[in-house]
Amino acid sequence: MNERLLLGRSIETGSWVHKLDARSKLTGMLLYVAVILLSDSWPSMALLAAFSIAVMASTRIPLKYFIKAAKPLRYLMLFIFIVQLLSVKAGDVLWSAGSFSLHEGGLRLAAFSVIRMLFLITFTALLTFTTTPGKLNQGLEGILSPFKKLGLSPDRITLMISIALRFIPTILDEAQIIMKAQASRGADLQELPLKEKARMLVSLLVPVISSAFRRAQDLVYSMEARGFRMDAPRSRYHRLRWGAADTVFVAMFVIMGVAVALL
Amino acid sequence: MSEAYQNVEDAEEVQAVIKLEGVSFGYDPEHPILHNISLSIPRGQWVSIVGPNGCGKSTLVKLMNALLPKSGGEITICGHQLGEETIGAIRQCIGMVFQNPDNQFIGATVEEDILFGLEGLCLSYAEMEERLRAYTVKLGIEDLLSKHPGELSGGQKQRVAIASILAMKPGIVIFDEASSMLDEASRDELLRILQGMRAEGQYTILMITHDADEILASDRVLALHGGGLAADTTPQKLFRNIELLEKCHLLEPYPWRLARELQSRGIRVDVPASEKELIDTLWPYN
Repeated sequence: MNERLLLGRSIETGSWVHKLDARSKLTGMLLYVAVILLSDSWPSMALLAAFSIAVMASTRIPLKYFIKAAKPLRYLMLFIFIVQLLSVKAGDVLWSAGSFSLHEGGLRLAAFSVIRMLFLITFTALLTFTTTPGKLNQGLEGILSPFKKLGLSPDRITLMISIALRFIPTILDEAQIIMKAQASRGADLQELPLKEKARMLVSLLVPVISSAFRRAQDLVYSMEARGFRMDAPRSRYHRLRWGAADTVFVAMFVIMGVAVALL
Repeated sequence: MSEAYQNVEDAEEVQAVIKLEGVSFGYDPEHPILHNISLSIPRGQWVSIVGPNGCGKSTLVKLMNALLPKSGGEITICGHQLGEETIGAIRQCIGMVFQNPDNQFIGATVEEDILFGLEGLCLSYAEMEERLRAYTVKLGIEDLLSKHPGELSGGQKQRVAIASILAMKPGIVIFDEASSMLDEASRDELLRILQGMRAEGQYTILMITHDADEILASDRVLALHGGGLAADTTPQKLFRNIELLEKCHLLEPYPWRLARELQSRGIRVDVPASEKELIDTLWPYN
């Protein structure tokens, strides 16, 4: 499986998490984000790690897939780690050279930030690995439906998300092709110095964006030709069903939140 | 089949499912892309639309499905005169398969893509289940339901697009250069699917193409040139009209060209010739 396409793909194993209602998984995900933000000590981080790994393992999807999903963001995590480490001046001084110093508080916060981000990405991957995009959209539509009264259109939002997810790999492939075409004419982006690279990026973005517009136009034709009308009634092939397992799943996150708050 | 499509049949004569009268289209009235197109297509006919690039073939079929707004004239599809209130009914009668198999894949999986149109028709679960099963089996894609577009070949994607359209039971199916991005094997496969559709006798097929084999397989050819209808003829007559072929940027089918070449070298062989006729003629020379 293409590594960069891993996030956003469902991997069917038939586990109990796969069978859950998408709404319970989305609710669990939101609670999980709150729990991540609440945890600010090593014991709570350890508990969170044990809980996350247990849930991931119960999906019967090999853990390496979750790690692979986080891999593309490793440089961002490294950047966050360095920025936190250098900017936070709390706690004991671990090392200093002149006016430059590293503090215990900075190291702790940097480590927590990276761990939090890792948890967040791997758990987002869990959501997409165990739920097909269609079911995920339906779940999101279900969760957002109370906001209809405020004038929000859940159908539009989920349609935008599903089309964006559907076209990310296509547009990435297109960018690769254009980069290779430019490299074959002597403009290899990889070989250029940073300043030149930035300049060349414009010549890459223009054809990619223009092609994305062309694809969007074709997609509109295809959708309209299949009778699609915005806000028109539609029937559903997959129906959402909230069962006892869904309640247990959400309750797990609530209990987790309480445990983390107490630690 | 959509009800309106099925109703278009008369005991006395076969009525037109597609009727265009003086249809024009253009962004600039001084330079229309299509001007004064009038034609009538009866139910069950397989029509090839040919012409050089930029002559307005895709524009013409998009006008029929109201994907583009006509500038003038009248379009009647399955008895519905095209207007704001009849667009929905017309789109239930016409299905379209486009050139680029990637850009018409709406769902994230094959199953979702086929269900996209069916859910829009507000069908019951049982009806969707039945159509999903029937048309995936028919197109030989029943094992691909959970696949993502990136995991499919061009031919498979085009089969998914056809299944998505046929499952909506449109009656009229338009193929807008649907084979031009396919390899030879996938192209043959598409031609076999089209021949199967014709054998069922239920579909009216419109196919924009530059492929001689696809043109030969059809019943009728509409040749467009310079935004107008240059000819309304049969495939055999088109391929005998060298001037029209040049106008449409088309080549004769390979067996025809070969037969002509053999004639010029004194071998007695009839033109037009099918591949089989050609082999039968040449076999005694073996």
